[in-house]
Amino acid sequence: MKRNVCVVGVGHADGPYATGLQPNALIAQGFTRALADAGLRKDQVDGLASAGHSGMHEVAVAEYLGIRPAWLDSTSCGGSSFEFHAQHAYRAIEAGDVDVVAICYGSNLLSASGRTLGTGGGGGQRGMQPPGPMKYEFPTGLTLVGAYAMAANRHMHEYGTTPDQLASIAVQMREHASRNTNAMYRTPLTVDDVLESRLVADPLHKLDCCVISDGGVCVILAAEHIAAGLRWSTKPVYVRGGSGGTTHHSVQGMSDMTTTAAVIAGKRAFETAGIVPSDVDVFCSYDSFTYTVLVTLEDLGFAPKGEGGPFVAEGNLRLGGALPTNPDGGGLSCTHPGMRGLFLLAEATRQLRNDAGESQVQGAETAVCNGSGGWLSTQGTVVLGTQSR
Amino acid sequence: MAEHPGHSGTRDAEPMSGNWNENPPWVVPVPTDEDREFFEGASRGELRIQRCDECGLHQHYPRYLCSHCGSTEVKWVTASGVGTVYSFTVIRQNGVPPFRERLPFVVAAVDLEETGARLVASMPGADPAQVAIGMQVRATFRSVGEGIGLVDFA
Repeated sequence: MKRNVCVVGVGHADGPYATGLQPNALIAQGFTRALADAGLRKDQVDGLASAGHSGMHEVAVAEYLGIRPAWLDSTSCGGSSFEFHAQHAYRAIEAGDVDVVAICYGSNLLSASGRTLGTGGGGGQRGMQPPGPMKYEFPTGLTLVGAYAMAANRHMHEYGTTPDQLASIAVQMREHASRNTNAMYRTPLTVDDVLESRLVADPLHKLDCCVISDGGVCVILAAEHIAAGLRWSTKPVYVRGGSGGTTHHSVQGMSDMTTTAAVIAGKRAFETAGIVPSDVDVFCSYDSFTYTVLVTLEDLGFAPKGEGGPFVAEGNLRLGGALPTNPDGGGLSCTHPGMRGLFLLAEATRQLRNDAGESQVQGAETAVCNGSGGWLSTQGTVVLGTQSR
Repeated sequence: MAEHPGHSGTRDAEPMSGNWNENPPWVVPVPTDEDREFFEGASRGELRIQRCDECGLHQHYPRYLCSHCGSTEVKWVTASGVGTVYSFTVIRQNGVPPFRERLPFVVAAVDLEETGARLVASMPGADPAQVAIGMQVRATFRSVGEGIGLVDFA
């Protein structure tokens, strides 16, 4: 018989500034705090998932944490890796292969590398050939921000999306961050503030881009019978479904810059979970850039294709709006230590536990997390809810 | 950029802004057996891409199989160099030399007239204000090492 799967623990590492802490220390911080949040001992964890930037990353993490898991997942597809981990763990727990899976992430990106990731420092640095097909694009001087900018530009061309509409996403995320004492930037913004910030790669301004921070987080999933004996047993959060997909690696491989794999991933995840877009109370969207949110909203069916611009400009992402999005302030204002996908699952859980204080979406019962990796290359969608399927 | 003359088949035919001809080792691709034809072609002023004998579509970058239909009957052909801008951006921040010294510059995704092939390429001579999606562009070539060329568009 298939087992229900719950999120039983969430723990954040220090951030957005964590000078002096190495990535594995940040992972350990999140892990120990998530165990405490759940009321679990570490020897009860029999599965581990993590994404980093080297081979055998998850093995090194297991040793560092002093655990010997029998189930591993190191799917590493950028920011969406953790939505893939959650989906895989959900299926494995459901099937009875594993009981308790800790999904871990930690990065000291800001302390170690400064604010270079999106503008030339993230790959193909001096003395290092870029991986795979990026070889053909790195010599052009294209940056990570530039790749998203190209996609946004195409969307503007096809659908008349405007820089003001994109900017309104950053404004709404900042509004949320202003309520969150853990957010990196909290001073409210206007659309003009975004448009007057310098262009990094046209049409994306500095304030269309996510922050770069340190940080880490751990989310622990467990079978329902285990969750029943743990700390949050009276406010269970269920994994209801998930899916993922990829369309390209290099930018030249992004044949349609205005549609992502979230079209497929979202449809499957929603079907598995037995929900439709109008059921969603909280949306935790990857927001590496304002455009990431816009295209994802369309691809998941929250707005018709091409109408994401008007949808966001109406203020629908606000708390109290039609689709409260990233109540913590998102990557655009709260925290983004390189890969943000796991923070989405953490925030959705906080909301569904009705534990989000000033940032709470009232009566939240269904949340969708959508991670995006690379340059819209990979998409992973996970549906969480206060009820089992 | 219709007013710009085409330079397919010639090398370094346009004056470049910035230091486009100074390419430190870390930006010079290292050809493999799979893609040497592309880089060598560019060094002699030819845009070499693959065409599938089965489905007739083209592809860039070179691969063992056709990325469209899966056939392994892919053959090298020389593209005309004419293409259409699918999208572009103006890079205004890049911390890595020599790109840092070239700012701002245009990078475009160009659909070649040979259906199926798209290149991401620099447009070194382009005035950012004059570049538009849908405009026709033509390949130019820039040598960055012995038998290694890059394809740009103008």
